[in-house]
Amino acid sequence: MNQQDKEILAKLRKRIFITGYSGGMAHLASCFSAIDIIYTLYMKDVMKHDPKNPDMPDRDRFVLSKGHGGLALYSTLCEAGYLTEEELHTYLKPWCHIGGEPNRRDLRGIEASTGSLGHGMSVAVGMAIAQKLDKNGAKTYVMIGDGESQEGTIWEASMSAVAFSLDNLVAILDCNKVQKTNHVEETLGYVHWDEKWKSFGWNVMEVDGHDVDALKETFMNIPQNGKPTVVIAHTIKGKGVSIMEDNPIWHFKLPNRKEKKVFMEELQISEKEMEV
Amino acid sequence: MQSSCIGSLMELADQDQNILYLTADSGEGGLDFMFRKNFPDRSFNFGIAEENMVAASAGLAASGKIPFVYTAAPFLAYRSYEFIRNDICLQNLPVKLIGTGSGLSVSSLGPTHHTTEDISVLRSLPNLKILSPATPKQAYECMKVAYRYSGPVYIRLGMNKEKEYFPDDYQFPIDKNEVLKDGEDVTIFTTGAILEEAMNAAELLEAEGTSVCVVNVPTIKPFDKENVIELAGKTKLFFVVEEHNILGGLGSIISDVLVDAGCLKKTVKVGLKDCFSVGYGTLPQIRKENGLDVETITSRIKEALG
Repeated sequence: MNQQDKEILAKLRKRIFITGYSGGMAHLASCFSAIDIIYTLYMKDVMKHDPKNPDMPDRDRFVLSKGHGGLALYSTLCEAGYLTEEELHTYLKPWCHIGGEPNRRDLRGIEASTGSLGHGMSVAVGMAIAQKLDKNGAKTYVMIGDGESQEGTIWEASMSAVAFSLDNLVAILDCNKVQKTNHVEETLGYVHWDEKWKSFGWNVMEVDGHDVDALKETFMNIPQNGKPTVVIAHTIKGKGVSIMEDNPIWHFKLPNRKEKKVFMEELQISEKEMEV
Repeated sequence: MQSSCIGSLMELADQDQNILYLTADSGEGGLDFMFRKNFPDRSFNFGIAEENMVAASAGLAASGKIPFVYTAAPFLAYRSYEFIRNDICLQNLPVKLIGTGSGLSVSSLGPTHHTTEDISVLRSLPNLKILSPATPKQAYECMKVAYRYSGPVYIRLGMNKEKEYFPDDYQFPIDKNEVLKDGEDVTIFTTGAILEEAMNAAELLEAEGTSVCVVNVPTIKPFDKENVIELAGKTKLFFVVEEHNILGGLGSIISDVLVDAGCLKKTVKVGLKDCFSVGYGTLPQIRKENGLDVETITSRIKEALG
């Protein structure tokens, strides 16, 4: 990862924390596991998109099926130019249009209203079919969670994507191994994700979900063989703040005063920056 | 109603390349085959997976397509409910949901296959238009109405070779009720495939000297409130006949309208009395066992009139 990527990602983590903390509620840990992936898609020339023309018909689409990572998406869209920093900072303020889960009605650039798990993958199947019908060469990327994969519709969608030969559909499994109340493995047992997806007929790629270069390399080499592809991105929930990493208690928790100091230290946030 | 519905859809699909046909393994009577044969690239069988199909239809609609989603009404309305809510209605996308075999139509299979609460649950969803055709001709025309409407639509379809009451040149009354028969003593409101029972009841009552007005409601939402308020001053009693739970259905809608307008009007609701259907067999048999046959309707009206 080059210095510029490091600096922007540090800025995005700061932005997520400051925005979430000032709003009073946020899924910080989920955002921190997903942010490097979303950044790579939007900011490293993986996706064809244009903030000046967000409705461009032949754009690539991104659906954040694990909608609780919404602040990571909004923060990246802010960096890409879809909304201003001032607009982002209205998060959870009275009469705002930026909430905890992305809504299509709130911002051009949000492709689907998500939040209820197990929806976005199926919506993405529909988008990928439309792109195929339009023969515009566009792709649909959808990010799902490993906890979210307990929803049955994920597997309904995965079967249909194979049946409709959607090789323009890329599912990214944000495999952070933690869900709301526990580790995924301790909830419904250990899952061999690679075997599961292979058995459903998908191409399977695996990558370090915090390595921007590896992510880009993976996204640039999605097979075009008539089959959809899942990128199993191994991530750490809460990546970037030591006390939050891999600990289920942080799913929807903000730090107390003592913990806040750790966040500010590790994310290199000054008192002045917190005054949003 | 099914064949006229698909026939109408094929005509529309001929004119608009964006129209797609989606089904969850539900192409009864070769209808699916006919569409697939004529439009092979625009026909998608999602298998027995209604939620995925409904959410995918939202993705298609968000990409400029006009999906017509056709499958068994109970599985569409109930199993997919949250997907209809979040993916279609919340995002106000032009998906046209066709629930076939609604009400008690699939009479032999019992309550798991009956759709007697769909109006009640779906009418509370913002942005969703609800159409409830009563005859094949009306089903044919309502497909055009659904296509022209810019938002999401649910069409409640029967499947029992319903009797035709409308002429060849019939025009669907957009967002309006239709008075099929005028009368002065009692008004029967009805919707969907059970129109025939209401018309037959009116005929029996007329023969005995009771003047009956029959109002068909092909559009459940938005509802034609003015028609109800206007008729409230005209006849002594309101009867609502519906193949639906009396909680939340057409009768509830009419009661709401009357209360909101400050009208005190006796309204008798003839439908399932907050229960699931009983019995298995032919449709006439099931209607009888659930108090929705012409004899029961007629006797309840006579009883209420005193």
